[in-house]
Amino acid sequence: MTLLATHARALLLFYRTVAPFMLGLSALILLAVLLPALQEGWSVGLLPGLLLTKLATAPVVWYLSEQLRPNQYWFYFNLGMSRRRLWSSVVALDGLVFLGGALAMRASLA
Amino acid sequence: MRAATWNPAGPQVLEADGIRVAFGARQVLANIYLRVQTGQIVGLLGRNGSGKSVLLQTIFGARAVADASVRVNGHRVVPAFHRPGLVNYLPQEPLLPPSLPLRQAARLLGVDLEKATASFPALRAQFDCRAGELSGGSARLLQTLLLLHADTAFSLFDEPFSGVMPVHVETLADEMQRLKQRKGLLITDHRYAEVLPLCDVVYLLHQGRLLKLEGDVREELRDNGYLAH
Repeated sequence: MTLLATHARALLLFYRTVAPFMLGLSALILLAVLLPALQEGWSVGLLPGLLLTKLATAPVVWYLSEQLRPNQYWFYFNLGMSRRRLWSSVVALDGLVFLGGALAMRASLA
Repeated sequence: MRAATWNPAGPQVLEADGIRVAFGARQVLANIYLRVQTGQIVGLLGRNGSGKSVLLQTIFGARAVADASVRVNGHRVVPAFHRPGLVNYLPQEPLLPPSLPLRQAARLLGVDLEKATASFPALRAQFDCRAGELSGGSARLLQTLLLLHADTAFSLFDEPFSGVMPVHVETLADEMQRLKQRKGLLITDHRYAEVLPLCDVVYLLHQGRLLKLEGDVREELRDNGYLAH
């Protein structure tokens, strides 16, 4: 397995551990804000703001994760991945998942 | 210094110095100099709270310490864990995420699980388990074996024998002796009776200073309050 493939798999593994928080927040934002906005017709220009709101929740997830699982990083360190790399990659991935979900919701209601 | 300056071929010498760590007013580590080379097993002993784990974590690079210098063959490698193939570290805490299947953990670490556990046939029945399903002793042994067999020049082990049953401790010690031909091992463990015969060099961490023990090691351990008799 190449280093890049190892890091990609490790990133997905790490994302799985924080996914319940992150996907839960995504679902909350999409269902509580975007869905009514799409149904009531005031969703134009809303997506960038929602994406920023979603990204702003990342520090909360990071804090909870640090408090609940302070020793979770050792395996990833042994794969050569730092905290910073893990979290920046996870936030980027989660942002893409959120964006994908939002676009899928908009397409399905169009 | 860039990774390109570290050449992973040939014998490797890992040196750490300039490590000073204080928790509040208490100086835990001061004026440390430690050296490990491939082909060596180095023992690190010390009383509880003497800073052994802090020292290993600092060398590994997981703990940022200002002015800490970690070098391999004279080249600065901070944080060391960023350099592929240089060093791995077994923490006191469980290494593997509980939901991770063992086979996947081995694959990610680039280790052949069958080969790594060849001397421990009893472990084969657990290959399809997740890390969190293993007993404490089996988990410890498997984690140690995975890192021992991983392709790194150095392995830092914090309490590798903890919770491991005696027959496996003996086999694991043999395995370490065999694998030190290609890597350098730095071990800290309170099971000094098992650790001492393994070691080519023994350090004692005492009152923040690292003492290299030479001559009668047990007598020096007694003199420094690590052993009573």
